Amino acid sequence: MRKSYLLENLQEIVGTERVSTSAAELYCYSCDASQIRGMPDFVVRPASTEQVSKIVRLAFENEIPVTARGAGTGLAGGAVAVDGGIVLDMSSMDRILEMDLDYLQVIIEPGIVQEKLNDALEPHGLFFPPDPGSSAMCTLGGLIANNGSGMRSVKYGTTRNYVLGLEVVMADGTVINTGSKVLKSVAGYSLTDLFVGSEGTLGIITKATLKVRALPKERSVLLASFDDPELAGKAVVKVLSSGIVPSACEILDRNIIEAINTYDPNIGLPQAGAILMFEVDGTENSVREGIEMIKDVCSSLATSIRAASDKKERDEIWAARRLVGAAVSRLDPLLTRVYVGEDIGVPIKELPGMLHKVREISEEFDLPIMTYGHIGDGNLHTGMCIDVLDDTQWDKLNKAADKIHRTAISIGGTVTAEHGVGSARAEYLGLELGKALDVMILIKKALDPKGILNPGKMGV
Amino acid sequence: MNESDLRSILKCVRCGTCRSVCPVFDVIGWESASSRGRMLVAHGISQGMEVDESVFDSINTCTTCGLCEQMCPSGASPVKVVENVRHKLVLQGKMTDAQKVLRFEALDKGNPLGETKDRMSWLGDSKKDVKEKADYVFFAGCLASYRYPELTKRTFDILKKFEVTVLQEEVCCGSPLLRTGSDSSELMSKNLEQIKKIGAHTIITGCAGCLTTLKNDYPGDVKVVHVAEFLADRLEELDLKKLDLKVTYHDPCHLGRCNGIFDAPRKIIESICDLEEMKSNREKSKCCGAGGGVLKGYPELSLEISKNRVEEIPKDVDYLVTACPLCRTNLKRGGPRVDVLDIIDLLEMAMG
Repeated sequence: MRKSYLLENLQEIVGTERVSTSAAELYCYSCDASQIRGMPDFVVRPASTEQVSKIVRLAFENEIPVTARGAGTGLAGGAVAVDGGIVLDMSSMDRILEMDLDYLQVIIEPGIVQEKLNDALEPHGLFFPPDPGSSAMCTLGGLIANNGSGMRSVKYGTTRNYVLGLEVVMADGTVINTGSKVLKSVAGYSLTDLFVGSEGTLGIITKATLKVRALPKERSVLLASFDDPELAGKAVVKVLSSGIVPSACEILDRNIIEAINTYDPNIGLPQAGAILMFEVDGTENSVREGIEMIKDVCSSLATSIRAASDKKERDEIWAARRLVGAAVSRLDPLLTRVYVGEDIGVPIKELPGMLHKVREISEEFDLPIMTYGHIGDGNLHTGMCIDVLDDTQWDKLNKAADKIHRTAISIGGTVTAEHGVGSARAEYLGLELGKALDVMILIKKALDPKGILNPGKMGV
Repeated sequence: MNESDLRSILKCVRCGTCRSVCPVFDVIGWESASSRGRMLVAHGISQGMEVDESVFDSINTCTTCGLCEQMCPSGASPVKVVENVRHKLVLQGKMTDAQKVLRFEALDKGNPLGETKDRMSWLGDSKKDVKEKADYVFFAGCLASYRYPELTKRTFDILKKFEVTVLQEEVCCGSPLLRTGSDSSELMSKNLEQIKKIGAHTIITGCAGCLTTLKNDYPGDVKVVHVAEFLADRLEELDLKKLDLKVTYHDPCHLGRCNGIFDAPRKIIESICDLEEMKSNREKSKCCGAGGGVLKGYPELSLEISKNRVEEIPKDVDYLVTACPLCRTNLKRGGPRVDVLDIIDLLEMAMG
C-alpha cells in the first residue's frame, strides 16, 4: 500500500518513464564498484532541481532513504542504498548550463561526465583539472560529493579547489545556494566546503559553479625505474622537497607494470621493481627545466630514466595508467581485483615506511598486494586480486585490508585519500577522526534530522 | 551457468568503462542497458532471479557489437555471456516475440525475413555462370539476396571472373538465430553439405554477420573471407580508375572488431578515392545499431543508435561506405547527410 502510494507520487513528479521498480533495474542499482550491496525500492532519474526537491520532500514526509548516484563508479558503496528506499540516478541532469570563458567558470548539472566537460572546454584552451582514473565515466556530481581527485592532484589539488558554489536540495526539499561566482568571499560559514565531500549525506547537489583553468602549453612524461618501491618512495620525497611540483607523480610496482604491459603490449614499460611516472606541465621552458631537475634528483636512486618520446607515447602511457586498477585482473584468469583497503593516504615523509609495511602485510597474509597510485600526494592504491569464489581468500583479503587501514591511521594517515568513506570505510572514521566524528554527527543531525539522506555512510 | 561465463562475470569489477562506450546505454540511460548491468543481470539469473520483461530487455537489447569487450580493462567478455544467457533462456522456452519470429521464419523459409520467393532470383542472367565445382564459393546472405539483389548480382559478376560459384540452395547462415539464442545447426548443415559438394576451400561473403558466423561458428576448416579482403588482393586485375571523391567508412562490428578486418576495405577505398575516417573508427568504431537482433526486436532503439552513428560522418565527404548490408540498411534509417554505399558500389563506380 505504502509502496504503491510512493510509486504513484514519484511517477507524478517525474513521469512514469523516469521511475523504475523493475527486477533488472533494482538489481543493477544495488551496487557500485565496491563490495557493498543494498537493494533500492525505487530508482528515479530526475531531470530538474524542482523534481529532485519534490522527491526529497516526499521522502522526508514519508521517512524513506534517498541515495544520490552519479555513474555508480564509486569504490566505497557511497551510491548504494544500504537501507533501501530511493536511488536518485542523477546522470540525466547532464547539461553545461553556462560557460563563462572570460572568467574561467562553468555552471554544470551534476550528471555530466568529467571527460565530457573537458571535451567541451578543450576547444577553448581550458580544462577542469581533477582527473580520476574513471574520468571517462564518472559524473561531476559524484566527484564533488566525494571530493575526488586523481593523478594531477599533486599540482592541481582536489575537486574542492574548483568548486565556487553549489545548488543543494536539503533533506526537507528546500533548495539553497552556497558560495557565489566571486573568487573570494568570507560571508558566513563555507557551506560549499561542507557539502563537497559529504557523499550525499547532507544534501543533494543539483548544480555547481566550477573554476576551470587554462590548458598548459606543454606536457612531458618521465619514467624512472627503481629496484623496489621503497627506493621510489625515497626519490619522491627528494623530488618534492627540492621544490619541483610535477603535475603528476605516480608509482607502479612490479605487478602493476606487468598488468599495464599485458593490457597494452605496445606500451612496453621497462621491467623494474617500481617505476615512478612523472608528468611536468607548463611552458616549454619550465617543462624542460622541470624534467631535467627530476632526472638529476632521481639519478642517484634510479636504475634507469627515460622520457616518453612523443605525445602519442605519453597519451598511451597515461591512458593505460588510468585503467590499471581494473586491468590487474588480467594477470590471472581466476583472479579478480577487489577494491577493499585500496585508498590510503600518508604523510609524504612516511611514504617509504608505509610501502615497507604494505610489503610486510602482503607477506603476513600470503597475499600479493600491488601498489600504485598518486604517490606525489601520499595517496597509495593497494591492489589485491583474489579468486572471489574462495572464502579463505576473502578472509585473508579483509584481514589484510583492515591492517592496511589501521597502519595508515597509526602513522597519521587516512583510510581514504580520494575514493570516499561510504559504507566500506565507515567503521574506521571514529579511529581516524576521534571527537571530530562527534561534530560530524551533530552536523548530520542538524541538517538531516530524520536521517533520510544516504543513511549508513561516513559513520554518521 | 557454465564455469567460463561465471568467471567472465566475476572478472567484471563494475568500473563502468562500458557505460562510456555502450551505444545502447547511450540511448536508454538506465543501468540495465549497459554491459555492466547485463553482467549483473546474467549473474542474477544464475542466482534464480525471476525473468520478467525488464530482464528480457536488458539481455536482448545488446547489439553484440563488442565495443565493451574491446575497452574492458578487466578482460570480461560480456558478448559471450549475453549470447549464452539468451541461449539458456530460449532452451527454457523464454523468448520475446521477435526472437520467436526470427527463429520460425529462418527455419521455415530459410531466411529470417519471411521471404517465400526464389532466393537465387538475384542471379538473373548470371545463372548460366554458376559452376558445380569451384575452389571459391560466394555466400550472398539473406539480406543481400532479397533486399539488394542487383548489388548481389553485380558482386557475383565481379567475383565470377575469379572462378567463384554460389550455393544454389543457400539458406540463412544462422547468424540471426545464434545471436538471439537459438540453435542453427539445421541451417548450418544445409549450407555445409553444399559447400562440401562444390569442393570449395574458401567462402567469400559480403555480409559481416554471415562472415563472423561462417568463420567462427561453422565446424570444419573451410576458409572464410570478406569480399573486400578477396578483392583487395586482386586490385590490379580490376582496372580501377581514380575518382575525385572523398568518402568515409563505417566498420561493421562483426567484420572489424570481431574479426580484425580493418585494412582490406580501406585498401580498396584508398585505391579509388580519398578516405576520411569517422569520429570513432577501427577497433573503437561505434555500432550501427542493427546487430544482435536489435533491429528486429527494438526497431526504435536501433534507429536512435543509428542516428548517433551517422552524426559521426565527417562534414565534407561525398559518401558513407560500408561493407555489410545490415549496417547499410540501418545507417540509411539513421538519416545520414550523404548516401550510403556498399564497398562494391564504390568499386563499380571506379570500374566504369
